[in-house]
This record gives sequence, C-alpha cells and structure tokens, in this order.
Amino acid sequence: MSKKLYEIIAKIMRVPLSEINDDSGPKTIPNWTSFNGYVLLHELVNHYKIQFTIDEAMDVETISDIKRHLKNHGVNFDD
Amino acid sequence: MMDEYTLSEYLNKFQNLTSKHKNSLKIAFLSSFTINGLAETMKVKCDIRQINCITYTGQYNQFNQEILNLKSKLYNFSPNLTFLILDLRSFLGEKFFFPYSYTEKEKKDFIDSKLQEIFDIITFFVNNSNSKLIISNFNSPSYSSYGIASLNTNFGLKDMVLYINKKLKEFILNQNSMLIFDFDGFVSKFGEKNVFNYQNYFFGDIKIDLDYIPYFANELIPFVIAQLGISKKCIVLDLDNTLWGGTVGEDGFDGIKLGPQSPGNTFLEFQKYLKALKNRGIILAINSKNNFNDAIQVIKEHPYMILREEDFACMRINWNDKVSNMSEIAQELNIGIDSIVFFDDDPLNREFMRTALSDVYTVDLPKDSSEYVPILQELAEFSVFEITDEDSKRAQMYVQQRKRKEFETSTPNLDSLLRNLSLELIIKNSNSFTMPRISQLILKTNQFNLTTKRYTAEEITNFTNDDNMIVGCAQVKDKFGDHGITGVFIIKKLNSDEWFIDTFLLSCRIIGREIEQGILYYIINEAKKNGIKIIKSQYIPTEKNTPIENFLPSSGFKKNNDFWEFDLNNQFNMPDFIKTEIE
Repeated sequence: MSKKLYEIIAKIMRVPLSEINDDSGPKTIPNWTSFNGYVLLHELVNHYKIQFTIDEAMDVETISDIKRHLKNHGVNFDD
Repeated sequence: MMDEYTLSEYLNKFQNLTSKHKNSLKIAFLSSFTINGLAETMKVKCDIRQINCITYTGQYNQFNQEILNLKSKLYNFSPNLTFLILDLRSFLGEKFFFPYSYTEKEKKDFIDSKLQEIFDIITFFVNNSNSKLIISNFNSPSYSSYGIASLNTNFGLKDMVLYINKKLKEFILNQNSMLIFDFDGFVSKFGEKNVFNYQNYFFGDIKIDLDYIPYFANELIPFVIAQLGISKKCIVLDLDNTLWGGTVGEDGFDGIKLGPQSPGNTFLEFQKYLKALKNRGIILAINSKNNFNDAIQVIKEHPYMILREEDFACMRINWNDKVSNMSEIAQELNIGIDSIVFFDDDPLNREFMRTALSDVYTVDLPKDSSEYVPILQELAEFSVFEITDEDSKRAQMYVQQRKRKEFETSTPNLDSLLRNLSLELIIKNSNSFTMPRISQLILKTNQFNLTTKRYTAEEITNFTNDDNMIVGCAQVKDKFGDHGITGVFIIKKLNSDEWFIDTFLLSCRIIGREIEQGILYYIINEAKKNGIKIIKSQYIPTEKNTPIENFLPSSGFKKNNDFWEFDLNNQFNMPDFIKTEIE
C-alpha cells in the first residue's frame, strides 16, 4: 500500500519515486507547497474514498503523518 | 458529467508543455479568493486547441491594488484578456451572513456603493490597458437562515444577488471592452454543493473545489476562442445514426428512428439544437454516404425531420469518400477547412477525417445518441463575443448563394454575369453600429486580406477616433439579397501627400464580383479630394491570402521597395456595373 501512496505523492510533487520515504515532506521536497499539499490530500481523498478532517488536513509535516491519518480512516499500510 | 482530467493531471501535463502555436494570447486572472491551478489548466486546454496561452495570476485578493497601481506586475504583463473573478462572501462582507439585520434601503445603498467601487476600478483598468476585461457575476447561495420563509421576505439574500447581477449587467452592457462571465450559470450547471466545499474554503479560501477547476476552465475557453476570432462557421453532418437513428438504406423511410418516442426523440432534439445554431448563423451541411434518393426523401418528407433541405447550405449525399466530400463542401461554401466541425457516428470515418484533414474539428460522438445534445452544448468552438445582424442572416445568405450559383451556371460569361447581378456597394464609416462587424471581419478574414493584421475592438475604436486614420466598411447587395457588411479598410494618413492602406479585406462570400475595385475607387476619390498624391500599401503573404496576391499590381499600383504605390495622377476606372452609395 505504501508504494501506491508514494506513487501518488511522486506524481503530485513531481519527484522521482526513489526520493520519497516516510520522512519526506514540505521541508525535503521543494515542490511541496501548501497548494500542492492540498492537491495531494484531494487526490488521496479521491483515491482512497475517505474524507480527512480539517484538523488532519492541517496536521501534515511528513508522509508518516499522512499514513497515520489514512490509517485512522481504515487504510492499511502493513507492507 | 462529461469526462474530464483531474486537476493534478492538468498540473502534470502543464509541466510538459513545449509546443509553439501560431495563435497566442496573454491572460490575466484576478480574484477575490484562491484560484491556484486555474492558470496551469487553462494553458493545457489552450495547448490542446493549438493556442499558446501565457498567463499571469494576481496576488491573492489583491486585485484592487494591482489595478490601481499602473506599475504593478499586471500592467507589466500587458494581458489581452483579464478575468476578474469575485465571490459573494467577499463582496457582501457581514451582510452575507446577516442579510436580514438591515433594511432594504441599507442593503441597496451598500450594494450600490460596492458596485460603484468595482465599476470605478474596472473602468480604470480598461482605460489604462489594451485588455478586454471579463468580470464574473455572483451565484445565489441556496442556504438562508430564514429557511423556507426567505422567499416570502422582501429583499432577502437571493433578491440581493439578483439585484447585484442586474446592476452589473446594466453597467457592462454599455462598456466596449468589458464582458460578464456567468459564474452563477457555472454553479447552477454543476451544483453549489459540488463547486463549493466548506473544507476547501476553511483550509485555504478555495471557493471552487479542486475537482471543478478543470470544468471552470472549460467555461472560460469560449472567451479565448472569441478573442482570437477562431470560432467555427460550419457544422457538417452525417445522416444515418447522426441526424436519425438507423440506416435509411436498410431500415427504410418508415424504419428510421426519429420522432417523439425514445430513442427517436434523441435525434429530434439534436436537430432542434442544430436548427437553433443555424438560426444564429452557423452554416449546416451534409456529408453522407447514402443513396441520394433515400436520404433526400427523409429530409423532404419525414414528418419529424426538423432540418429540411433549405437549412443546408450544401449537401454531399453520395458514395464518394468523406474526405473528398469535405474538401468540396469547403470549396463550395468558400470557407476554410479549419472553420468546420464534423459530426459522424462512425469512428472509422472520424479517424479518416482526422488523419486526412486534421484542421477539421471532428467531434467524438458516443454510441449513445442521448449524449449528442450535451456534447453539442459543450462545444466552445462557436463562441463569439457578439452575434451581429450579418451572423443571424448568414443561413439565408447561403441559400441565396446557392441560387446565385444556379444563376451563374446559366449565364454564359463573367462580364454578363456581373452586369446582371445589379451589384450595389454602400460605403459606411466605423461607428457603434458597424464596429462589431468590422471587428469580426478583421479577426476572422483570411483569404482576401491584404495584410491580415488582427486588431482588437479597442484598437479599432482608437483608430476610429484618430483624425489621422480612416476606418470604413462596405455593405454589398445584389439582386438576390443583402450580403451585409463584407468589406473593411483602414487608412493611415502618413502626411499631406501620402495615405497608407493599412488594412483591406473582403469576406470570402463576395470575392469575384470586383467589389474590391469599387472600394478602392472610393479610397482613391477621397484621397484626391484631400490633395493626396500617392497611396501606399503592402501585401503581407500568409498561408491563406493568395486570392489577394495580385490585387495591388492589377489595380495599377507599382512596386517601390517593400511597398506598392498608386500615383493619383493616374486614372482609375470604377467597374460600371457597380452602383455605389456613400452613407
């Protein structure tokens, strides 16, 4: 499941898949602007058919945070 | 809902835009809320239409400051089109939330004052730029704290929005360089609950949901097409499974699907929408592989046919290949292949057309005929800023054209043909009545166009008001009817001895009648009256304007370096079969 998440992030942030890990975020990926961050959440909402709360949307500093929020909505990353 | 890419897909496609096209446009987006992603989406959508779109997006909610500062990046960018997209929350402030806490007079006074601020700002902008300005109107929110009682309350929130939109329209109607974008229509089309998402709004003042940014861009594309003057003129239609269901050659006159019952009603309604486009001046033609007699019987006699023989300017119903037919249709109608939209249910025919004539806009028709109407409605290709009298008469003109052709074939030579046509030429000045058509011809005429200079309506207005320039046009009539305004000329007065013909063009509808000689005779006479000695001009070749290539030398102009010159001491003869009137 992480691979699909990483692929989505790589596409939105326009970075090679190999440069993405759970610690990646706005501080490590230059294209991760606040707008692109929001586009990413939007894409995840459409892909996983879930809805983030606004608290979750505001609480994203790394990909780990996204995974944590997705897990709260039943998305499993045990891979 | 129509298939559409997501915003993230547009953002990715935007990264790979490299192509250069001959049409180019600079667009500025100003807004009272976050519109990130719109410019990138527009660029991709324009690229698909072979348009280079260069964009500028104003700072978040800074449109006042950017417009009022002549040194701002907005003016430095110098757009051709500027969209000002406003939202009701920002416009009404607290009155958006508490509309019932104020009297009707207080609300009207407030709205009048806010609108006047906006009118002043946008007037300042168009007076200080060469851009057309498109301002959005406002959508009416579905929620009211008064609930079902709101519509029984005098001047509630919905009434306020109606009042704002009415005032906005009244103001814009009287402005040359301003138009309204129907944001209310956009929200109504896609639904308030889809377009406006509270989380988007609270997160980043995003008032158009990211999923709907591509649809929003679709609604702006018609302005791009109209500004560039690249709208299509003609719809060419297949017959079987396009204008009616089934195959007339196999199913027979009584077996085709066309009528008030489903699925015949899908074709019936499709024909009604086509007829409405024909009534506004879009030419209709037929390109069908069929037995002529079978097809024409349906067109003439079927009780539920909406489109009849007199609605089609040209018919190619035969067993020839559709590409050859299409070339003949363009030739017969005297329009460019790139002015044509093609509807055909057969994917193979469509592919054949795309491969052989890529400039024809071939529409992808789905198998389901109930989708035909929405697909026709979504086409931005017929967009113009204004429907002129000439536009709405065009269909009738093409019927007249067909009669002229029949007359031509029965007349032995060109000279006697022209003498029997009873040609009348009426020279008119540029004014508020003739301007829309002058502008349209300048933007669209390709073939008989000496310089193919594309001036905006604003530039033409400036020329009209300039004492050192003459902007004129020519209306042409003959014994079969009125062609309307079909010629335009722009003269620059260089000095006391010389005039320069900057623009000289004729609509393809009237080429071959020596009307150009009549217009030139008028210009030469006017020059003589003003003591001018030399009229200069130039021919700027393009891919399409070879029909006018020999106009200057054959009219007595002599080449002098890069220019052609006519010495007014020389005689110029007006064709004696053209009656001229000057208004």
